[in-house]
Amino acid sequence: MCEEVVDNTPSNPTMVFSAGKEKAVCFSLFDPVPQKTVIYHNWYHRDIPSARIQLTLNPPRWSTHSSIQLRKTDIGPWRVEITNEKGKVLGVLRFSVTD
Amino acid sequence: MEKLINFLLSMRWQDFIDICLNSYILFRFYVLFRGTNVFRVLIGMTVLWFFQRIAISLGLIVTSWVVQGIVAVGAIIIIVVFRNEIRRVLQAKNLKSILWGLSSKSAITPTEIIADSVFDMAHRKCGGLIVFPGKEDLSDAVQGGIPWKGMITREMITSIFWQDNPVHDGAAIVQGDQISVVGAILPLSHRDDLPSYYGTRHRAALGLADATDALVIVVSEERGDVLVAKGNRLRAIRQKRTLEQHIQEHLGIAADKKAAVRKGGLEIAAAALLSIVFITGIWFSVSRGQDTLVSLDIPVDYTNRATGTEIVSTSVKSVSLVLSGSGALVKSVTPDQVSVRLDLSSAVIGSNSLSITTDNISLPPGILLREVTPELIEVVLDETVKKQLPVQIDWAGKLSPELILLDFTMSPETIEVMGGKQILEKITTLYSEKVPLDNLSGKGEITAKIVLNPTTLKIAPGSKDKVTIQYLIQKRE
Repeated sequence: MCEEVVDNTPSNPTMVFSAGKEKAVCFSLFDPVPQKTVIYHNWYHRDIPSARIQLTLNPPRWSTHSSIQLRKTDIGPWRVEITNEKGKVLGVLRFSVTD
Repeated sequence: MEKLINFLLSMRWQDFIDICLNSYILFRFYVLFRGTNVFRVLIGMTVLWFFQRIAISLGLIVTSWVVQGIVAVGAIIIIVVFRNEIRRVLQAKNLKSILWGLSSKSAITPTEIIADSVFDMAHRKCGGLIVFPGKEDLSDAVQGGIPWKGMITREMITSIFWQDNPVHDGAAIVQGDQISVVGAILPLSHRDDLPSYYGTRHRAALGLADATDALVIVVSEERGDVLVAKGNRLRAIRQKRTLEQHIQEHLGIAADKKAAVRKGGLEIAAAALLSIVFITGIWFSVSRGQDTLVSLDIPVDYTNRATGTEIVSTSVKSVSLVLSGSGALVKSVTPDQVSVRLDLSSAVIGSNSLSITTDNISLPPGILLREVTPELIEVVLDETVKKQLPVQIDWAGKLSPELILLDFTMSPETIEVMGGKQILEKITTLYSEKVPLDNLSGKGEITAKIVLNPTTLKIAPGSKDKVTIQYLIQKRE
């Protein structure tokens, strides 16, 4: 998790985002990518689905990211489940939004 | 008639024991204290108590207070004023006679022997004073005296009043067929209308007879007269038979002994019957009297849940009970005296509809159940399973704007919990309590407890209920 992605590189990696910041970014890097693949970033706020973002990976190596806009109502624990098309969980990233 | 039978059938066996036991206690009080002043005062107090209850029911506030005060003070007065009488009654009897014995009047005073002895003494001009107590206690009026407790015989009476006997100047007190005390000093009468030839014995006899309900026989030493003092009168007796009649009349000894025994038996039977009627009346007025209603919210206890199952949800946490009974009993009922227990031994995994019956409700004696709301409770049971869940820290507060939480690790990363299968299927993460960031900087270690939501979840045995967090906070680049 990071505050922003600059030149395809995560900047200010962190586990805690202030609700005053603009956004939270989930950066994911896949290596190798054998063929063109669709993945999903599923954003959950305290186990409640908040966003499902479809991303495409291209061979041989691919990085991609998704983000959410932060509001005061988003304070609390979050997680992003990265799944493939069939729903298999490839990884889970956890973070918190605080005051 | 049918109503009466139904009502009697509704009584429990404990109620019968309750009435019988208290009736017997009351009857024993009567047997022990009958004929004493304590008994008469107790009857007076009981009448006052009834009067107070009537005053309360009529709404006479001040009257009921006053009577209540009199009863309370009276109880203390009885113990203080009649302590000697109470002690005498209790000391004179062994445990068996207190609990079981019937008659305290079995000893019949031998009036013929006494009359013979008295006239014999008069003939020989041997002075004497013999006291026959009535119903009043003489301990306050009589002073001194030596306990004797000797069976009454002609020789013994003669020897007590023999001139060389050190106690011959005092009075002998007769109790039943015994002379209980000798050498007793009686209070002297100060009347100035007595004949000049009356000596100290005459004045002593009149003094006691005047002050109490005792009968006193005086044998004049100088004139050889026999006189009987009772109340404020002192009369000369010339015939043995007359003296005997006076004594018998005073002691309530009937000429016909069979009739006396029959009368005593009837008296005891009447007392026993009255005790039962009195206690039954009190019992009904207390336990089945005025029909007062009260509503209580009682939490439901679920018992006999099968091992490996747990309650996921219930339609209600508590039920509302409407109870009835006499005012006194209903007012004293507290929620902890009432319980509602539902047996889950036949419940299955999933939803169960259980009805609340009187068998599920435990009430204090004398209290009846009128209504239960709701009558049906939905209980959802689930199979208890264990699940290993990842822990997520619930960070809170605010870091300084120039700082950033770069990384943290926690141990353990997962914790095993137990709970209903359906609940645990929906749960994917355990959250910690809120961990404030405000005062954190650099590297460090903190611990945080796990918050179990819903509360039916439990930490599995052997698992930790908190995690240790090692954090790294750096300045923003």
